[in-house]
Amino acid sequence: MNAAWLPLTTLLTSLLAAVVIFTLPENARRLRTSANLLAAVGKIILVGLMAVRVSAGHEDTFSFQIVGNVDFVLRADALGVMFAGLSSLLWLCTTVYAIGYLEGSANRKRFFGFFSLCVASTLGIALAGNLFTFLIFYEMLTLSTYPLVVHAGTQKALDAGRIYLRYTLSAGVVLLLGAVLLYALTGEHSFSSEAGLGNYLADHRGLLLLIFALLVGGLAVKAAMVPLHGWLPRAMVAPAPVSALLHAVAVVKAGAFGILRVIYDLYGIELSVELGVTTALAVMASITIIYGSLRALAQQELKPRLAFSTISQVSYVVLGVSLFGPFGTIGALAHLLHQGLMKVTLFFCAGNYAEELGVHRIDEMDGAGRRMPLTSLAFTIGALGMIGLPPLAGFITKWYLGVGAVQAQMYWVVAVLVASSSLNAMYFLPILHRLWFRTGPAHGQGQWPKEQRLGRLETHGWLLWPMVFTALASLGAGLLAGLPFSPLDWASRVAYGEYLP
Amino acid sequence: MMSLLLVLSLLWPLGVAMLVAWQVYRAPAGRHDYFSWWWLSAAWPALLLAYGGEVQWTIDVWMLGGEWELNTLTRPWLAFTALLWSLAAVHARGYFAAEQSQAQSGDQAVQRRLARLSLLWPLALLGNVMLIIAQDIASFYLGFALMTFAAYALVVHSGTDKARLGAKAYIILAIVGEGLILGGFLWSAGEADTLTLQGVRESILVAEHGAWMAALLCLGFGVKAGVIGLHVWLPLAHPVAPAPASAVLSGTMIKAGLLGWISVLPLGEAGMSAPLTQLGQVMLVAGLAAAFLAAFYGVFQHHPKAVLAYSSISQMGMLTALVAMGLVAPDAWSILWPGVVLFAAHHALAKGTLFMGTSISEHMPRWSLALIWPLLALPGISLAGAIGAGMVTKWAVKSPLYEMEHDTLIKLLSWAAVGTAALVSVALWRQWQQRQPGGSNGWQWGAWLVGISAALITPLWLPLPAESITMPPLKEWLGILWPLSVGIALVATGRLLLRFINTAAPPAGDLWWLYAGVIAAGLGPVKRINRGCSELKTACVVSCRQAERSLMDALTRMLEAENWMRHHVSGLMMALALLLAVLLIWEGQR
Repeated sequence: MNAAWLPLTTLLTSLLAAVVIFTLPENARRLRTSANLLAAVGKIILVGLMAVRVSAGHEDTFSFQIVGNVDFVLRADALGVMFAGLSSLLWLCTTVYAIGYLEGSANRKRFFGFFSLCVASTLGIALAGNLFTFLIFYEMLTLSTYPLVVHAGTQKALDAGRIYLRYTLSAGVVLLLGAVLLYALTGEHSFSSEAGLGNYLADHRGLLLLIFALLVGGLAVKAAMVPLHGWLPRAMVAPAPVSALLHAVAVVKAGAFGILRVIYDLYGIELSVELGVTTALAVMASITIIYGSLRALAQQELKPRLAFSTISQVSYVVLGVSLFGPFGTIGALAHLLHQGLMKVTLFFCAGNYAEELGVHRIDEMDGAGRRMPLTSLAFTIGALGMIGLPPLAGFITKWYLGVGAVQAQMYWVVAVLVASSSLNAMYFLPILHRLWFRTGPAHGQGQWPKEQRLGRLETHGWLLWPMVFTALASLGAGLLAGLPFSPLDWASRVAYGEYLP
Repeated sequence: MMSLLLVLSLLWPLGVAMLVAWQVYRAPAGRHDYFSWWWLSAAWPALLLAYGGEVQWTIDVWMLGGEWELNTLTRPWLAFTALLWSLAAVHARGYFAAEQSQAQSGDQAVQRRLARLSLLWPLALLGNVMLIIAQDIASFYLGFALMTFAAYALVVHSGTDKARLGAKAYIILAIVGEGLILGGFLWSAGEADTLTLQGVRESILVAEHGAWMAALLCLGFGVKAGVIGLHVWLPLAHPVAPAPASAVLSGTMIKAGLLGWISVLPLGEAGMSAPLTQLGQVMLVAGLAAAFLAAFYGVFQHHPKAVLAYSSISQMGMLTALVAMGLVAPDAWSILWPGVVLFAAHHALAKGTLFMGTSISEHMPRWSLALIWPLLALPGISLAGAIGAGMVTKWAVKSPLYEMEHDTLIKLLSWAAVGTAALVSVALWRQWQQRQPGGSNGWQWGAWLVGISAALITPLWLPLPAESITMPPLKEWLGILWPLSVGIALVATGRLLLRFINTAAPPAGDLWWLYAGVIAAGLGPVKRINRGCSELKTACVVSCRQAERSLMDALTRMLEAENWMRHHVSGLMMALALLLAVLLIWEGQR
């Protein structure tokens, strides 16, 4: 039984939400909020339904032909549903957060409209059944994110937006070129086809390599791999919920997810190993991991430090993909979810510090643990998770990646992981020390840069609870990783169900 | 019942920590009791658990799969750990009584410090308990990391510059250690596809590079255990930490490194490969070197707690050498290990009590000095092996070595005991010099007295396998007793000889200063390279922008050509028409 309506409706919830928001007047705050939350909750239910159907063995597909040989396909497979689940869950969290964050500011209609569009494109990327559909949503994501990046409208924001567009649009062209070459070579090629491109290996080895380089090169810009990462730290001028969404699920993850699709579904892991591209990818990812950590160490402001940390962490996913074997695959897939949860928590915290206390620089954070205990606790959880300490989610993925590297006989990857953990500790632990062990304005020394009392608790409830939720989720994802339907469990299902012999 | 006790022994410290956190944020500071009965009881369920018997649990949903076990090794370990934590907690209540009343009278800095300490103390305890019962890697690593990072608050407590330096040394080396441990675990567990410590032991035994995995893990745990070269945090952190914190730090936490070794090294297994034996020999040499060098360096220290820290390094050196025997001479391990556990337990209690004793001599109760000083000396004498549990411990280690005919090692260990005796007498002498009257609190000396008696009768309460520990026969007593007198005599003569030379104490933390200097010197070139890179990048960006600008200029010029055409459009059109006409005419004529 094929429930074609299911992927389509799921996609439409966000799209419709965007349309509704754009038609509502600017000051219809209550109506807009309800529509937004209704759509987000509805979408989670729909994705949950899809997850149930996928685990029961169905693959719901919606498709129609656009022109001869080119189809528009939405398919709910296990990998797609995993990413869709992350995106819809975090959509709800970031929406709630954004409502609190933007309270009383201008242009909220534009913001929430494009926010919904952005999430709709993420969902499209997750459910895209072939490269053509993937491309459509990938470009849609680029364009719908631009207004969010430049939301503040300052000169700095506009500059960042222009650089963002330069990077992503040229990457889109490269990606398109790769896709066209691939279609010219093979015709229609669905992500679900079992064959892979192995048949073409004998005659078109060079062309396959070229196409791979174009596709992954195009995707690597969004995945912010060094040296194509320049846009990400600049895009930090965006409001906190946008940064959270950008780093946790939308743009950066879309790139990483695309690389997953290309390797697992388009080329097939055996062919990729045969072509030798996985080793090259592992080296690139390792360079990115170390470089990102080193740059993060040098940052004096909180959000740029988190941005470089993202550059480093997202490459874990790519690293896991390039380790041929079950553990690397599971590690990569699980990290897609784990990193999302942890990073969104960290960005929520950064936003809370900025909103409540006006704190942007790291050296202004002294003693903030006393003033904002829950936020600081959540930040601690996120930071320790990033370092990869048990029992947090980051440990689980680091473990799987390391074991995968040993089993793939790439011992140097273990050294990279250990070095990256130490570097993570070096740039996160001083922040934790400042939060909890130093004295600051909360102890009567000096003043916060711009303190506001936003709520009865340490800050506005809308800002607080999403953060608490994601922090608990990142704790739970590690502590109870053995539970059914935990991120690790779902990643193992995807890996063993689809990509491993 | 046992499962309930297990859950309780893990959740109780957590609950206590949460209670403290809740009180800190809710209760008015004036009436806040940081060291309430709840807080004191944090380690009690774990103590009960240790005497409950042997059990094992498997919890599938826990991280990567939880395997917890109380066996012949972990039961005594948990027993002495939990006992020392309980005693140190009671001692802390007395030790911090003055700070407590300062806090209640409204001193915010003190409130903050006490809140931090009383919150993280039970968490460090929780980590310590968990790493002992864990048999799977994830739980073990969790316990180890939790203990390590929570103990930071214990070291940094007083907040002075020295305390911050000690805490910094502690945390830097801890991170180095965590990294090494992670690398070793990933390597060995990945090679054998295992999640348990048992699997790691087997993997190290059979794997091709087993000795390297073992070396990584050895060094990683060696940071905690104070192995020579990585020991530098001990003499920096101990003198600055409060006495009860030093007691648990030196008593139980550095033993966690030892337990790590015992858990991951294939000690006493048949079929030991040659590289592993070599590793064992290296460990043996390192252990003995630590035992002697630490004693030699430590006797020149002025701060009694620094002396005691060096004594810990020396003692851990002996334990390192004994553990290394498990690799070098695997046959001996099955009879040697109860002695090692007893050694660890006795050292934990005795050293914990000695550290508590430093706070007694700083605030002497109003008793006769003739009573206080022998009491202060008792655990030290026992540590040197001359009375009570110390004698039994020495014999428990010596007799298996006699049986396996390792006479040289026995001799060396006896000489190391001379070092212990010397260190302990120097520590007591320094305490004597720096003694202050002041009346200590009943909790403070109460815990201390209980600690002394527990240390002296360690073999009686430690749940070791029956018959594994015996009293030394009378004819061996001389061989056990002589190091104490020689040690004291050495210190006395040294003191007399050096009397007229004004010796300054060598800096505590010995190699730390060397490391710090080397790293500081190494940072210079790194900074230069860094600057060079950033200049290169700036130059690249500038030249790219230059190229872009010239390209845009060229384009603009071309656009200007278009402008010119627009200006002369009519003329151009006429020229075009003319051209067309000429072409047509030419065509027509053909």
